[in-house]
Amino acid sequence: MADTLTPDRLTARHVGAVYRRALLAQIRAITEYPGDFWVMASAGVMWNVLQFAFLTVLFAAVPEVAGWRYHEMLMLSGLLTVAAGSTAILCDGIWSTGQMVLKGEIDYRMTRPAPVVVQVATTHIGMQGFGEVGFGLVMVAYGWIGAGLGPASLPLVLLGIVCAVVIECALITLFCAVNFWIKGPMSNFAFVMLDLQHHAMTMPLGLFPIGVKVVTMFVVPVAFVNFVPVAALSGHLAPWWVIGMPVAAAASVLAALGVYRLGLRSYDSSGH
Amino acid sequence: MTSAFAVDRAFAAIAFKRRLAYKAQWVVALVLGGGAMLVSMAMWRELLAGGALSGYDWDSMRAYIIIGFVTATVVFGAADWQVADRILDGHIAVDLTKPVDFQRARAAEYIGSMVSTVPTVLVGVLGAWLLFDPPGPATPLAGLLTAVSFVLVFPLAFGLTYLTVLVCFWTKRYLGVMWLREALLGFFSGMVIPLAFMPSWLQAVAWALPFPHFTTTPAAIYLGRVDTAGALGLLAAEAAWTLGLWFGARIVFNHAVKKVTVHGG
Repeated sequence: MADTLTPDRLTARHVGAVYRRALLAQIRAITEYPGDFWVMASAGVMWNVLQFAFLTVLFAAVPEVAGWRYHEMLMLSGLLTVAAGSTAILCDGIWSTGQMVLKGEIDYRMTRPAPVVVQVATTHIGMQGFGEVGFGLVMVAYGWIGAGLGPASLPLVLLGIVCAVVIECALITLFCAVNFWIKGPMSNFAFVMLDLQHHAMTMPLGLFPIGVKVVTMFVVPVAFVNFVPVAALSGHLAPWWVIGMPVAAAASVLAALGVYRLGLRSYDSSGH
Repeated sequence: MTSAFAVDRAFAAIAFKRRLAYKAQWVVALVLGGGAMLVSMAMWRELLAGGALSGYDWDSMRAYIIIGFVTATVVFGAADWQVADRILDGHIAVDLTKPVDFQRARAAEYIGSMVSTVPTVLVGVLGAWLLFDPPGPATPLAGLLTAVSFVLVFPLAFGLTYLTVLVCFWTKRYLGVMWLREALLGFFSGMVIPLAFMPSWLQAVAWALPFPHFTTTPAAIYLGRVDTAGALGLLAAEAAWTLGLWFGARIVFNHAVKKVTVHGG
């Protein structure tokens, strides 16, 4: 019986099943509001259509930005879009962490036989994610073909996409967990990370001072979401950098789960 | 008359104080706006190192980016959610029973919340001025007319935002509508890239919309890209859009309010 499961007996299979069923329930819920779905999905597409337009307009005036050409920049933007859009589909509920901490809504989730982080992450789906992932993949594919990268690089592209999604989900979880200590309804740290990432990481890192490169590669490894894979694919970085992608993904997941667990330990419900 | 303005002032003051209560938002807005400004500066410094592009050199681009920061901070930092939530959570039913005009009250609140972003703007501009030393306005008159353009951005932003918020009468969420508006505003205002870089057909599309008055108009006046008559023409167009959106929103509201849904019957 599921309700008698202790935390020790939470197998990966059980957790996966809970995650899948919770996410499917959310998908069923959003299909009840088709108008909202299309508005949100269109909004996700529109941001990226305009990013596409920005790059197209820019590269009509200049041949390259810091050594990067049009199709490489499209891949850079596209991969970040896929990663960010995937978080909206896979773990959008994690943005509610601050709200739940304030209202004491974590209590109820702590009593259930499934990891709290999984339960929180699946309380919502960002419908814009469907548009973002769809159009992001189009940008990646268009850039990949336009840059002349052959089919041999396809496994690397797929690895890059998987690692990008994992890193992005983990980092957003980590920064949302800050709300366990710095209380507030808004996940400001995660929001700031995501916004700065959309501005800075859609540009070649060569534009920025060394401090930005060090931070984005080794402190908050957002560079491994899109910059490193695209740079390794297009020859701006040595091929051995791709080893860093799964390493950064594993490190980000461990850090996110560790910080979330620490946050749960310091959680003292509301009204005390 | 005086009494009506007193009500407007009260709504604006309450919205202003409410925003001031969340001081963390100032820091967040500064980090977000400042971060975007620094990235733009880094990109354009690289691109303009070899000379001017589409009429912009590094000097004029520095001023342009700072003007974009000012309008983005004021417009994106305003309390549009507060207006949307009144429709989505049904508070509008109570508002409609009050002896105040709904649109005018929301305008006062919205502009009050925009004023609360001024400290963020001042700190950001001061920092940018010290770091990048942008050129001053082309002439003192250009500086004055730029200030007029900035002032007109306040009611113009309300008109645009309010009109899009009214979509919430048909949808049950506001987030997607907000993103659509912000994406279009960022691109067609010239905040993301100056309109001069766009092909002529895309510039024509942009100028057929109210968006360029959020960045391109104040920047063109400030940098002396238009003479005094041209600047006055741009300001007249900005004012016309403000009035058009205000009265257009009234027409939409009169239709939309028939759709109001209040939970609990």
